[in-house]
Amino acid sequence: MSVPAIEIDSLEKWFPPAYSGWRALLQPFTAPTSPALRGISLEVAEGEAVALLGANGAGKTTLLRVLATLLLPTHGSAQIAGHDAVSDPAAVRRQLGYHAGRDLGFYSRLTGRQNLRFFGRLNHLSDATIEERTRALGERFQLGEALDRQTRSLSSGTIQRLSLLRALLHQPKVLLLDEPTRSLDAIAASDFRRFLRAEVLAGHGTSLLFASHSLPEIELLADRVAILQEGALIALDTPAGLRAKAGASSLEQVFFRLTGRPVPPDVEARPA
Amino acid sequence: MMRTLRDLLLFFQRDLRIAGTYRSPFILEAIEALFGVALFYYVARFVDSPELRQALPQGNTYFAYALVGFVFFDYLNAALDSFDRSLLEARDTGTLEPLLVTQVSLPVILAGSAVYPFAATTLRIAVYLGWGAALFHFPLGGANWVGVIAVLLATLLAFSGLGVLSAAYLLLFKRGNPAKWFLLGISSVVGGMLFPVSILPDWLQFIASINPITYALEAMRAVLLDGASLSAISRPLLVLLVFAAILLPVSMAAFAWALRRTKTTGTLTHS
Repeated sequence: MSVPAIEIDSLEKWFPPAYSGWRALLQPFTAPTSPALRGISLEVAEGEAVALLGANGAGKTTLLRVLATLLLPTHGSAQIAGHDAVSDPAAVRRQLGYHAGRDLGFYSRLTGRQNLRFFGRLNHLSDATIEERTRALGERFQLGEALDRQTRSLSSGTIQRLSLLRALLHQPKVLLLDEPTRSLDAIAASDFRRFLRAEVLAGHGTSLLFASHSLPEIELLADRVAILQEGALIALDTPAGLRAKAGASSLEQVFFRLTGRPVPPDVEARPA
Repeated sequence: MMRTLRDLLLFFQRDLRIAGTYRSPFILEAIEALFGVALFYYVARFVDSPELRQALPQGNTYFAYALVGFVFFDYLNAALDSFDRSLLEARDTGTLEPLLVTQVSLPVILAGSAVYPFAATTLRIAVYLGWGAALFHFPLGGANWVGVIAVLLATLLAFSGLGVLSAAYLLLFKRGNPAKWFLLGISSVVGGMLFPVSILPDWLQFIASINPITYALEAMRAVLLDGASLSAISRPLLVLLVFAAILLPVSMAAFAWALRRTKTTGTLTHS
């Protein structure tokens, strides 16, 4: 039996309260009291795409950050390709491509290409491989001359494309994407989704766990959808399975019904 | 080992490229160095006296003594500043997270980010001494350059532990380490930067004796101004290496603990 690409077992993450003023000095030594993730168990198979859907603060980003080894879980375990995120974070990072979903993360006085070369080399790629993949993915993401401009002069959408390119540069086995198309225009977002589906997931067998608020994006990309509410996993199924379970005609209706919110009349009336 | 060295070189190249996008400061710093050296030269001529020369190590002018103290004090500054500054910049520019998910460990990221500041400090010192030798008779001719390199390496190792401790503090508490400013302040008074430690009262001499800057300056003056052999500076060199042997593992352990703690509290990238 093959090892799941991502295996999360009874994962809990609690945070300490946020202090300000002189009490901030106590922050590092304060016991965690606020739950962000509560007993999450989830597997993502090789080549599978699973979407994380939930309201703001539901725990989607926290889950991705635990898997990316940027946070330590309070209880439970998280494994990437059989490597434990706590005891073997270096092995986990070798398998990972991570996009944090922000418009930051590049050296503003270096060009896009120089930034990609730096991060690619830190992932132990050769200059030739970086150059070849930057050219191919740069064309695919229509980055063109933006690659040779200082990143401080680029739009947030272009920075986001650059960040997605960086996450894909070392051809990771597992992709963790936090709101991958948030700053992209409609055409770039659509192009990116098609590329991800056809070339990354189907073409390379990469596994994808992504957080998104875009329901069309989830419909297009996700094999299964994990719905999070207040840190707990309340549903996990294929989009069709979720619709059947909730007696709904769209994912939007599913989300309202399964999270216990009244479905607004316009959402109820909207055709699937 | 080779991979770590290659990774360190990558950080150096990154910082060099970024520095290269600001061209004029190199020239301005070289001019500033000239003014600084001239200032020391004329102050030294003004205060020079038989009593002063008696207090200085054999045959040294006050100009040479003070210039070495002033410029090499910069290493302490660079060591205390560069580790936490690189962390602060990475956090504020959002590059810390992308760095942390690469295959390079945080200690290497931290050490790599300090390579350029140390190299730049070394270059700045060379410019100061170059101006001093070219225009104001600073005695570079008799220096023991092997000794200079040995003292520089021992100084870097000893001071880096202090810098990593400071970075651990920043990681935990999100603000600059107040002990850093205290250490810089007290070192400027008791470390032998502008006057010999021997003229201080006994209790300040004791503080000087537990501060690595005292030994770094003593050894550097000996090899640079007097051309002293390695065996002649074995005592301060050994003390610097003992400081390094204690401070480096302690600081790395403190940093690892601080990192684990911030990953637990979720404050790794908080400002």
